[in-house]
Amino acid sequence: MKRPHRPAVFAGALLVLAVLLLAETVVVKVQTTSLRKEPKFYAAAVASLKAGDSLTKLASQNGWFQVKTVADVIGWIHSSAVETKKFNLTSVGGTRKTQASASEVALAGKGFNKQVEDSYKANHANADFAAVDRMLKIVVSPAVVEAFVKKGKLAGSGGGK
Amino acid sequence: MKAPRFGSVVAAAALASLLLSQCSVIQQGADVLSDTGKISEKDRDSIVKTSEAVRSTFSEITEQEEYYIGRAVSALILSRYKVLGNSSLTDYVNVCGKAVSYSSDRPETFGGYHFLVLDTNEVNALAAPGGFIFVTKGLVERCKDEEMLASILAHEIGHVSAKHGLQSIKKSRLVDAFKVLGKEAATRYGSKELAELTGIFENVLGDIVESLVEKGYDRKYEYEADKLGAKYAAATGYDPNGLARFLKTMTGGPAAGGANGWFKTHPSAEDRLGRVNDQIKGMGAVPKTLDVRTARFLQAAKGLKP
Repeated sequence: MKRPHRPAVFAGALLVLAVLLLAETVVVKVQTTSLRKEPKFYAAAVASLKAGDSLTKLASQNGWFQVKTVADVIGWIHSSAVETKKFNLTSVGGTRKTQASASEVALAGKGFNKQVEDSYKANHANADFAAVDRMLKIVVSPAVVEAFVKKGKLAGSGGGK
Repeated sequence: MKAPRFGSVVAAAALASLLLSQCSVIQQGADVLSDTGKISEKDRDSIVKTSEAVRSTFSEITEQEEYYIGRAVSALILSRYKVLGNSSLTDYVNVCGKAVSYSSDRPETFGGYHFLVLDTNEVNALAAPGGFIFVTKGLVERCKDEEMLASILAHEIGHVSAKHGLQSIKKSRLVDAFKVLGKEAATRYGSKELAELTGIFENVLGDIVESLVEKGYDRKYEYEADKLGAKYAAATGYDPNGLARFLKTMTGGPAAGGANGWFKTHPSAEDRLGRVNDQIKGMGAVPKTLDVRTARFLQAAKGLKP
């Protein structure tokens, strides 16, 4: 009785493997962003995301990805906020590696980072980082943009591309 | 059967190992020749490019690094110009710019888009990598309506979206930086690595500031930013002719806006105007300029002129 089931079990295992391989993981590459209920910036936020968060991609539409968080929250994120994870075949094969890959650098927060900025700042007192920090404090919420767009009779999709 | 198969595996491994070691020899050789001045930086780049599998182009700069580069470039811009102390105009420019960014190819960047008005009569607009965008008081005064300002902001967002700032970094800087990074496994740099990397960072900033403030971008990047700007403005609901009308005010050369800024770093307005007009014609029906927007622009820009 068991024999006829074997191919089915095998096929099932293959299917699971295929799904695992096809379920694309994307990683948040911006400092902070929101997961939204609909594919537009004006839509309500359903979760807060930060750089490095892993998401499972479910669908895509006009430059937006529908994704699921590790906490199983489903929502939309603009494709410009995420990076598609690539399999690193060279590291799987144990190939000799002398350099960090870009994604490894991103993961470790290495490259040009806060430590490099501080070191640069120490020797360049004229560079006005305090003014840059004030500039970064100017934050416009999507709701304010939406009101501006409506009042100005603009396109108003807020949907990015 | 087993012995020959094992043999072929060994042979393949030996070949792979030989190829890999040759790559590093090529790079070391290129470095040595470059250091001794026997080959130019450009030659060295092209030699290294063929052997360098990992990050040798601007597109491999991470979002976070772009943010730190953008911060430092902005810090240098802000050391040259005072910020206009008019918060209602600054808020207005930020909301308008953000609206346009939503319809761009890259609405999200590591630190987001932020806009400032610089307190100078010079007519200019600048974008540092990652979304730090500056327009001068002289430029806002020259705009007659929201469509003109939005089109300029859209042009600058085009530079950020297409990463033109990062493209002005010499490739050798990235190769140098990655040699430092590859050696260091710890999450914080040792003093030697930090000093090396800071030196490379300084050179990277030099490349970008030179393009932004002194030489200007390659003209093909300006044309591309015009094209993207018209596209983003129209997608937001603005009349893309705002850019054409702004360029028209810039025809006739430096007498119209001082010899610094825009005229030093951009192709002639006449040249760009022709291209922009052709592009808008090709876009078919485009949104029209509306009084409701012009009125709020005039309100926001009120009080700029003494």
